[in-house]
Amino acid sequence: MGNVGTALTNLKTNFKSPSQRRQRLGLFFVLPAVIFTLVFFIIPLLITAWMSLFNWPLLGKHTFIGIENYVNMFSDKQFWSSLWFTTKYTIIVTPCIFILAFILAMLVNLPMRGVSLFRTAYFLPVVIGLGASSLLWVWLLNDRVGIFNRMLMDLQLIKQPVVWLGDINLAMITIVISIVWKTAGFAMILLLTGMQAIPESLYQAAMVDGAGFWAQLRFITLPLLRRTFALTLVISVIGSYLAFDQFYIMTRGGPFNQTITVVYWIYNNSFAYFKMGYGSALSIMLLVVLVLLSGLQLYLLRGEPDI
Amino acid sequence: MFRRIFIASSILLIAAFMLSACGPKATPTEVPAAAGQAANAPEASGDSTPAVTLTMWSRDSDQVLVESLVAAWNASHKNQIEVTIIPASDFVAKFGTAVAGGAAPDIIAIDLVYMPAFNAADQMTDITDMAKALPYFDKLSPSHIRLATYEDKIYALPFSAEASVLIYNKSLFKQAGLDPEKAPSNWDEIYQDAKKITALGDGNYGFYFSGGCAGCNAFTMLPLIWASGGDVLSADYSTATLTDPAVKATLEFYKKMWDEQLIPEGAKVDNGSDFFNAFQTNKIGMLGTGAFAISSLIANHPEIEYGIAPLPGQNGGTSSFAGGDEIGIPKGSKYVNEAFEFITWLYSEDVQLELYAKNSQLPVRTDLVENKYFEANPAMLTVANEMAVGRTPYSVKANELFNDYNGPWETMLQEAIFGGEVDKAINTAQENYTKILSQP
Repeated sequence: MGNVGTALTNLKTNFKSPSQRRQRLGLFFVLPAVIFTLVFFIIPLLITAWMSLFNWPLLGKHTFIGIENYVNMFSDKQFWSSLWFTTKYTIIVTPCIFILAFILAMLVNLPMRGVSLFRTAYFLPVVIGLGASSLLWVWLLNDRVGIFNRMLMDLQLIKQPVVWLGDINLAMITIVISIVWKTAGFAMILLLTGMQAIPESLYQAAMVDGAGFWAQLRFITLPLLRRTFALTLVISVIGSYLAFDQFYIMTRGGPFNQTITVVYWIYNNSFAYFKMGYGSALSIMLLVVLVLLSGLQLYLLRGEPDI
Repeated sequence: MFRRIFIASSILLIAAFMLSACGPKATPTEVPAAAGQAANAPEASGDSTPAVTLTMWSRDSDQVLVESLVAAWNASHKNQIEVTIIPASDFVAKFGTAVAGGAAPDIIAIDLVYMPAFNAADQMTDITDMAKALPYFDKLSPSHIRLATYEDKIYALPFSAEASVLIYNKSLFKQAGLDPEKAPSNWDEIYQDAKKITALGDGNYGFYFSGGCAGCNAFTMLPLIWASGGDVLSADYSTATLTDPAVKATLEFYKKMWDEQLIPEGAKVDNGSDFFNAFQTNKIGMLGTGAFAISSLIANHPEIEYGIAPLPGQNGGTSSFAGGDEIGIPKGSKYVNEAFEFITWLYSEDVQLELYAKNSQLPVRTDLVENKYFEANPAMLTVANEMAVGRTPYSVKANELFNDYNGPWETMLQEAIFGGEVDKAINTAQENYTKILSQP
């Protein structure tokens, strides 16, 4: 009886030990995310890579052409000029987003009453779609019926309505403003979580040592935010490189085709010129650029600061 | 134990949720049946075949016409049609994707300039025999038939007709001291009239065009080039002829009006959404437009006094871009005969007069153009006549050549008219056109 009893107990233990149960449980909880990533990212990525080796028109039959799409890419002037424009745009918009997001994060980190109202208000533009936001700005900026021109004229700051999206510099400024308005809230939340993870005791110890506001910022907040900063930066840069909606809707790539981003060019090739194979090759190239960029950022911002 | 049930049910819920997301795409807009009539009235004869539902896609430019036609059909026929309206700028991409995914609709109504590309890619059902069997086949709009023909086979038939014309504001003409019954008949007259109207001030401008809309300007500027004896493509549509002096003259004509501020500044960035709205503010003297303008004015702004005239050439002569939609049956449709029944019904005299002409839509049968409704509205007669003699470029690359916002046509217009570099713009466009035409 003792043998049977022990055997039974062993059986039960082997199948249901707490750590094994946790592992299996963990597997089940991750499964939806794994399936999601597989179906919506990994598999489409492999299909895109496959398509990039073909001449694949949207309507009609496709033919295998090996790396010819990639070879043609090097002489595609518009692709390189789009890549350069997208890089310029990212360089301009990223600091704007970050500086604003950092200031906002510090503000909403203050232990005030009603601060969550501000947090929500700053985050709200993030949740409206980028397409809807771009359309909104198109009409706000319109020279005949737009509010901005009306306000500026009433304030006597301009005499005639300005066609904001008709000049390359004005268009860039307005698009950057609209994007900062829309996305700063998200970066703010990410930075906020990082800030809230810093123990209050560090600040108190610093105050005892005589550190003022700027010293605390420089020696405690910024170094300890490094990981969060890296994450936010990578996400923001990727997002800016993938910019499409605002340029498609607000400037249609103009004036004079100067605001065509990389994704806009991919869209044109795939869905306007029906060259899905070439569009796929461009997408793979963009992926490579983003992987390299993200790797570089994570490398530069690596390491745990010692405090 | 409860934990396990909880976990299992959570997983099931999540799985079900994800699978439901892979379901069929957005449902098409429901077409309201005519008031007081049952949506599924069967035909009088004892027809024992089951009723089928056909899917139809149409671009939004024709929305009002399509919905009224389908509602009338659904109210009087056993077979039903479910129509989906798609924004014009997205139509080709959506259709191509649907065909590639094996989910093409049974009927499509599409801009006729895209027919050659669709036919070359073998996307449409051959309806040559059925088409030629129609008794009034030779009365159907010639441009539509030509665009729908590929290698001597017919793949679509006319659905809606359009032609570009010049519309002018008679009350502004009167205010500027011009004869409201005398439309400009050459470019110099347009220029002089525009100057006088802009001189009225108060936000009035003599002329308008959508500076950022490729297709709109193909519709309204190509006729100016044609009427002046030139063209952007050779007669067989295989070579680019942008270096033709008529092209340069047209660009310089627009540039002159732009430089002298006879056109509102916002025109530069208008991507087409203001293509006709501008005229409806009652502050624009003249602009190139189509038949859709007339029905829009009658419905929304009956107070605006307008006149319609053919688009003139530099020194006289007239021309027009014959446009509109074709109706065809994509390959793979299971209901070819039923779809063709709908097409045949569209051409019946009753439908052409009561649903088209009465609502200020051009009939696609040239033998029905002179009818009692158009006698009361002679502007429609002008447009209809222009359509019968209008021209339409035929190219499998029509999208890239004329409709692409970032393509050579639109870039040339912007660089020449707004950028002031006419010769450079023309040369660049000529190079790019040649490149596009040389690609398979």
